[in-house]
Amino acid sequence: MDVLGNIWVGFQTAFQPMNLLFCFLGVLMGTLVGVLPGLGPVAAMSLLLPTTFHVSPVSAIILLAGIYYGAMYGGSTTSILVNIPGEVASVVTCLDGYQMARQGRAGPALGISALGSFMAGTLSTVGLMFLAPPLAEVALKFGPPEYFSLMTVGLTILSFLASGPMWKALVMAAFGLFLGCVGIDTVTATFRFSFNIIELSDGIGLVPVAMGLFGISEVMLNVEKSMEQSIFETKIKALLPTLKDWADSLWPIARGTVLGFFLGILPGGGAFIASFTSYALEKKLSRHPEKFGTGMIAGVAGPESANNAATGGAFIPLLSLGIPANAVMALLLGAFILHGITPGPMLIQQHPKIFWGPVASMYLGNVMLLVLNLPLIGLWVKILKVPYPILFPLILLFCLIGAYSLNNSVIDVMIMAVFGLIGYFLKKFQYEAAPLVLAFVLGPMMENSLRQSLFMSEGSLLIFFQRPISTALMGTAIVLLVFPLVPWFKKKRFIIPA
Amino acid sequence: MNNDQVSSGLWFFIGGAICMGSLQYKLGTLASPASGLMPFFAGLAICIFAGSGFIHATTKRRQGEKWGRIFAGLKWPNAFIILASLFAYALLLVPLGFLLCTALFIGFLLRAIIPQRWPVIIGGAFLTAVCSYLIFEVWLKAQLPKGLFGF
Repeated sequence: MDVLGNIWVGFQTAFQPMNLLFCFLGVLMGTLVGVLPGLGPVAAMSLLLPTTFHVSPVSAIILLAGIYYGAMYGGSTTSILVNIPGEVASVVTCLDGYQMARQGRAGPALGISALGSFMAGTLSTVGLMFLAPPLAEVALKFGPPEYFSLMTVGLTILSFLASGPMWKALVMAAFGLFLGCVGIDTVTATFRFSFNIIELSDGIGLVPVAMGLFGISEVMLNVEKSMEQSIFETKIKALLPTLKDWADSLWPIARGTVLGFFLGILPGGGAFIASFTSYALEKKLSRHPEKFGTGMIAGVAGPESANNAATGGAFIPLLSLGIPANAVMALLLGAFILHGITPGPMLIQQHPKIFWGPVASMYLGNVMLLVLNLPLIGLWVKILKVPYPILFPLILLFCLIGAYSLNNSVIDVMIMAVFGLIGYFLKKFQYEAAPLVLAFVLGPMMENSLRQSLFMSEGSLLIFFQRPISTALMGTAIVLLVFPLVPWFKKKRFIIPA
Repeated sequence: MNNDQVSSGLWFFIGGAICMGSLQYKLGTLASPASGLMPFFAGLAICIFAGSGFIHATTKRRQGEKWGRIFAGLKWPNAFIILASLFAYALLLVPLGFLLCTALFIGFLLRAIIPQRWPVIIGGAFLTAVCSYLIFEVWLKAQLPKGLFGF
């Protein structure tokens, strides 16, 4: 009854006209950034974060969450029609989705992608509703050592699953931790690495860092290349899949939903890992694995369901533990903090509307996405035809305004440009920015937890191995760090392609 | 040297510099950590991971992996034109004001990267500046700088 009562409160909040509008805007913008290659949900959320200052925290979270799961819907459109993934979680959709389009089956591919996404998104919201509150209860038992160990294992998992060598991801995570230390130390009131720049005394802002690393650097890389893109000209008809398509897709959707949801919860996991794993699983379970990559509908249904289910799962550690599972959730954490709210075990009790409102809005958002996406596919294709030389100055301008309006400071604009340059070279040398951003956000929390743990143990690092939950988490982190050194495992390690 | 040797070497020095820089804030003891401890640990971690990366990259170099040219076949000056224009925008935004600075920025990019026709440049610059002003300043109440000319 308590849960039902809370759900009722959530829907009352979500159905308020302003929140409905923000939900609609969020999913619409999310789909748009998902459709546009090179502009992912992280860049879009960092762009819009400053503009949410003027709205209520519930509306802001509803808007930003809508961008995240909306982008997952939109990403499949470009993968299927253009063979260019709109965002990284839709990379595998290209393999079979584009082949289906070439065979004149773009409609069923887009249809099953939207319907599978809807089912997975809705089911993962149900999971979020029932799993987050009990997890928050458990989290009340967490002390500083458990929090420190959990954040350590999150960063290690993200580095473990990163594309390319693990040492690169670990360097990024360590650099992110350092960046999180810049600014005033709240315990000793010492200014660290701020070089007498007043704007740095509160630390480096998350928004300029994220916009630089994900937005500016992407534009810099894109303008180096030939900016012509060809759209596969095909008539999109019969969006609703046939009975045979449904029979081939139902189990992949179910498996993708469960897999994606749990991989989304995992600290360091996320939508792109979920979609890759789902594709691998479907290929393994198929009677015709050799046909994958030639237009198998299961290769579209599974991964697209998995990446949508992962978005729901990813909210769980943030809302119940206060720990972001990936870079997108790190930005959402930034949004919570900017609005003076600390997500974590007490969020559900102290701010029920801020928890249940956005959760209920996800149901509405998923319905909106289904209703919007299928009829609007023609529009998204037209947007794809906007030439990049016209589009990129606008992306840059939004980044500039977003960075400036954060504190009305040109220093933030310069920080964004500097991180754009850093992101550009990181990509040139094949370093991933996601561990950096996650560690940057977790850095101050990790430092606090480490300090408190060491105070509690009077300087003994063994405290992390004397409490059961902390020991299990630290053990996992150590195993993940050591495994890549084992020669047999080096060959077997599951690596996400860049 | 291959790419990973160069990049890991650079990260090793960055990590070392962070460790050195952290010492000025004092490390304290484990029982009573001071402000420098966490950045010192972060710098140390960078050195360790970059060091292991350097060894890994050196092994690959011995197996024949060479330096891969990161700018080969690319119009890389475009990337740096964009970077320069971002810094220029940051420097000119307050003195020139949002409208003028934005119009110049958009006009410059439309001309410099892949040159568009003049009507597109002028129209695009003007429309973008005015529309973004209406959205951000008038609608969203962002406080954008007015500049010397008052707009």
